[in-house]
Amino acid sequence: MKGKAGIRRWLLQNLGFATAVLLFIVLFATYNVLHPRGFSSAVAIQNSNETVAIAFVAMAQTLPVLLGGLDLSVGAVMTLTNCVASELLYGSPAQILLGVLLTLMTGAAFGLMNGCIVVYGRIQPIIATLATGAIAIGLALLIRPKPGGKVDDDLSWALTNSVYDLADTYGFADGGNAWWLRPFADIPVPVILVLLVAFVVWVPFRRSVTGRTVYAIGSAEGAAYMSGLPIHRAKIAAFTLGGFLAACGGLYLAIQTSSGNADIQQAGAYTLNSIAAVVLGGTSLLGGVGGAIGSLFGAMILRVISFYFRILDIDPLLQPLIEGVVLLLAVSFGAFRTLRVKNQLDLFR
Amino acid sequence: MKAAWKWSAALAALTLSVSMAAAGPQVVQGPGADPGCFAPWSDDTAYFQWEAKPGPYRIAVVNGFVGNTWRIQMIKTAKAFAEDPAIKDKIKEFKVVSTGTDAPAQLGAIEDFINQGFDAIVTIAVSPDGFDRVIRLADKNNVVVVPFDNVLDTDKVMQVNEDQLAMGRTWAEFLLKELKDQGKTSGKILEVRGLPGNSVDRDRSIGIHEVLEASGGDWEVVQVVGNWDDGTAQKVTADAIAVHGKFDAIAAQGGTTGVVQAMIDAEHPMVPIAGESENGYRKLVAKHSGDGLKGISIGQSPGLVAIAMKAALSALEGNVMPQLISVPLPVADYSTLQDGVNYWTDLPDNFFTVNEFPPCGVNISGPAIMSQSEADVK
Repeated sequence: MKGKAGIRRWLLQNLGFATAVLLFIVLFATYNVLHPRGFSSAVAIQNSNETVAIAFVAMAQTLPVLLGGLDLSVGAVMTLTNCVASELLYGSPAQILLGVLLTLMTGAAFGLMNGCIVVYGRIQPIIATLATGAIAIGLALLIRPKPGGKVDDDLSWALTNSVYDLADTYGFADGGNAWWLRPFADIPVPVILVLLVAFVVWVPFRRSVTGRTVYAIGSAEGAAYMSGLPIHRAKIAAFTLGGFLAACGGLYLAIQTSSGNADIQQAGAYTLNSIAAVVLGGTSLLGGVGGAIGSLFGAMILRVISFYFRILDIDPLLQPLIEGVVLLLAVSFGAFRTLRVKNQLDLFR
Repeated sequence: MKAAWKWSAALAALTLSVSMAAAGPQVVQGPGADPGCFAPWSDDTAYFQWEAKPGPYRIAVVNGFVGNTWRIQMIKTAKAFAEDPAIKDKIKEFKVVSTGTDAPAQLGAIEDFINQGFDAIVTIAVSPDGFDRVIRLADKNNVVVVPFDNVLDTDKVMQVNEDQLAMGRTWAEFLLKELKDQGKTSGKILEVRGLPGNSVDRDRSIGIHEVLEASGGDWEVVQVVGNWDDGTAQKVTADAIAVHGKFDAIAAQGGTTGVVQAMIDAEHPMVPIAGESENGYRKLVAKHSGDGLKGISIGQSPGLVAIAMKAALSALEGNVMPQLISVPLPVADYSTLQDGVNYWTDLPDNFFTVNEFPPCGVNISGPAIMSQSEADVK
């Protein structure tokens, strides 16, 4: 990606993603201008806290979509891991760390199961995950028949605030007052957590052979198979990583709410919203095009739209309608490419 | 320069900790203001007092799920009440948002309104847990948060509700009385439950079972899940009648119009019934009570939002308030139903009939809410 031509080519190849980033920047900047306390750390913390769970679930949904399928269990896996985390996140630091690991492993294991069912059971992902999603909710209800649970207070306060509060709570960097921490002190911790997972987990995966195979399967599974790519491995890995990312969402939800809740409706809402976020982020539902970073932006757009209802005077009963119309417009942005294709066959890519 | 940074941050931290210590409600001795309206839940209920703030105030309603009649009626009631002459002058700005059944979104909305500097936030919690963070922030910023209807499992905030346990008990007591009049002291009762995992559903059911067990009679209770929804309740009742044949009485938590409809469709004999406050159910009881549909109707009123708003205003004015406010149960049975008073033949079936709380000066009658077009109250 060097020089003008390089940027131009990158733009053309990532039009959906670039549109999503631009749309997000415009929406978010306008929101902050309108907000009485816009561009402050408090608003950024609130916004990011609200977005983390859906951002992780949208990233989780991206992988099956890149394969050309849909995962209807992401919301349920988030709910299941939320309930698991609500049982494990207290005690000594070692116990908490173990709880975090167990929670993430639960999600990854569930994703692995999804992958195995899809690959070896030869069942369409959408149907397989419809069933396993119900299983996940069932398990969640078993673990937590009624909402509640216990999560370490310090952990929950520190991870849902700014870097300053994190340092203050755990007493490092002079309780947050060290000079080298100043430039980062106002950054919300949830933002760092999401970026960490995105760049430590997603980016290396995308660059690996397995990751590129996921894209190849989505573009043309037959061709990928004929090229000798590890199809089964890639599919199973994609679902496992999806489960892991959904578990990140569930874990954060537990930390944020200090509790677990086997809420069936919430699980359903997250699954549907994750699909919307994936599409908003420029990933094609046909597979093979897009990425989890795009879905991250898609999730943020989805959230920012609803932020507006709190600062503008809009009739409460009209809000869902307006939200739907804005969403439709936003998704339609991605369809603009159809207006400028030279060959109609391009549309089937 | 470095030192200046350090000192300013330390100072900021200090002022923060000081204001945190001073903020939030003080626990004080009762009795509270206006006990006729803001009745304490029990003798053990604590009393809160916030520092009085000068009015007028900025109030927000943060609803969760939207999309059933009850919630829509609640929102209409909130808007109508905000325009009520009794409190209109005390409100500078009034906002209503619905976040859907999405805990992070609801917590986020509450936090956003705190950030925007609102004085009070009235909410129906999507989960009885998980609000620790926003409660902490609200206390820090001296914002009054008032959950109502689906309340929180905490005693750190002021909350408004009807006693669901008492509702369950009253239902069961009524059924036992009616069955006794028929000479029955044992039999089969159908219980149509609400949304699973919800504290309201749990408490109502506990109330019903407590009274049935205490009666000493041999009652077989068949439970089905109706989700407080007419359609679901009608289907599960029809299934239960098909499987079990005949019931001696029915206790339905909600969707009662559907329950009675299922009885009529299956030609099930009319039996004593306990149910919610849907207009359709009250219409059916009024019509068929002579055939044996002896019904009691107790409602969780969408008008609770008005009481919660009024309580928030009272707290902002510095009055002493109970931590948990019990709104009296609005009870009607087949002998007290009167068209145009506590049910309306010309209003839709899924309208919730109880909206008036005379001790609180909340008098928004059914037709007044329904006739209020969106444009009128904007």
